[in-house]
Amino acid sequence: MGAVTDDEVIRKRLLIDGDGAGDDRRINVLLKSFTKWCNSPGTPEEGFTQYQRVMATLGQCEFSMGKTLMVYDMNLREMENYEKIYTNIEQNITSAHEKIAECKKEIQRAKRVRKNRQEYDALAKVIQQHPDRHETLKQLEALDKELQQLSQIKENVDAKLELRKKQFHVLLSTIQELQQTLENDEKSDNDDNNQESPAQTGE
Amino acid sequence: MGPVELLHMSVFSQSFSPCGRFLAAGNNYGEIAVFSLSAALSPDATALSQKPVLTFTAHEGPVFSLLSTDCHLLSAGNGEISCWSWSDLTKKNVKPLWTKRPNFKSSLEIPEINAMVLNTRDNSLVVGGGDNNIHILDLEHGIFKAVLQGHTDYDGAVRMWDSRTGQSVHCVEIYKYESCARPQYGKWISCLTTDSDWMLCGGGPSLSLWHLRSLSPTSIFPLTGCQRQTSFYQDMILAVGEGPSVAHCLLGGEVKAQIPCTPQSLNTLQLNTNSAEHRMLTVGGSSNHIDVFTNLSYRAFSLSF
Repeated sequence: MGAVTDDEVIRKRLLIDGDGAGDDRRINVLLKSFTKWCNSPGTPEEGFTQYQRVMATLGQCEFSMGKTLMVYDMNLREMENYEKIYTNIEQNITSAHEKIAECKKEIQRAKRVRKNRQEYDALAKVIQQHPDRHETLKQLEALDKELQQLSQIKENVDAKLELRKKQFHVLLSTIQELQQTLENDEKSDNDDNNQESPAQTGE
Repeated sequence: MGPVELLHMSVFSQSFSPCGRFLAAGNNYGEIAVFSLSAALSPDATALSQKPVLTFTAHEGPVFSLLSTDCHLLSAGNGEISCWSWSDLTKKNVKPLWTKRPNFKSSLEIPEINAMVLNTRDNSLVVGGGDNNIHILDLEHGIFKAVLQGHTDYDGAVRMWDSRTGQSVHCVEIYKYESCARPQYGKWISCLTTDSDWMLCGGGPSLSLWHLRSLSPTSIFPLTGCQRQTSFYQDMILAVGEGPSVAHCLLGGEVKAQIPCTPQSLNTLQLNTNSAEHRMLTVGGSSNHIDVFTNLSYRAFSLSF
């Protein structure tokens, strides 16, 4: 495993163009040219040119080092930024989960309310089919009044009937008494006549 | 089970286990199949997980009714009631705990048992039989303690009984109401369900919603064919019957949707309310497939016998 990753690393380093390989080479070149300049037996002009060359190479190396340091800083800051975004997204996910749960409960409540409303509607339909309460009460009142009137009339008629009955009864009983009296009178007249005639024949 | 038997198979009853992870289904050959829902719903389900984990012959006649209590499965077929333990069934042990037969008066033919309901208040099982009587079995003592008589054969009446006195307190003849009656189908009632103050019933007459306090029909549902099982679900009414679809209706009387299914006509409809992660609706009918709906709007997959 370690060998593989080393190969990978080496391959990557070989593939990456430019600065990496260039920097190493440049530092080696710098060291070589520095030692050559230190040990050079040549003329002062040559020595000066060699010195200038060394300084230029040194400048290049410092520049590239500065650049790499900045890149490194930038990477660190990018990492921090990504961490922040990551935690932010995680929070959003949990709050979305909570909202979903809340909405599900809301839906259940709304379904219950809808079911209740539909039940009310169904019952209302049935109730509408029956007649209005006011109308029925009014009808009841009218019927009551009619009933009262009719019973009043019945009472009156009954009273009249009773009165006539009594009057006829009086009339009939008077007639009967008169008849009785007349019969009694006739009978007593007959008796008188009968009593007188035997008395006459007896003499 | 040859291909011809599979073609002629009808699923008459279903019941979910108390834990909600298994479904038991009974067919017209007297067999009960137990399906594992966690296997069928898992992301790596294969065709094999839609087959039963256990199939056994429970009765000699069709299993018309299955009912689950909190640890038992009750099955009714051929005039007898058998009790199985769910834990035994999950371990593939198919020995029934007990088998009882209600006292049917006639000895010539054995009436079938069409429906069973559990009365949790006094721990009794109410059984409706083909002899037009309702038998009440006391589950604690195992004896049939009462018989409610009053129905005549297919008289199309819905009766409400007082369980204490054993008398019928109300009798509603659905076919006599003009709005519900469908004389071309007859007067028999094939499905009945209640939900507090409301009752749904249908069969020969159209499926109608009744208010029990006033005993008056409030809505009629314009569904063709006879409905064989209905259920209240949240704010909707689900109904299955003749016709290869599950009807979703609103309480006001309109049919919101008809979802197509595999069997040509459906006999049974069950909702799994025992488990939160296996919530589903299953329907079975004149086919060896049982359709499973995880979202009520479309058929997800089918279990097969």
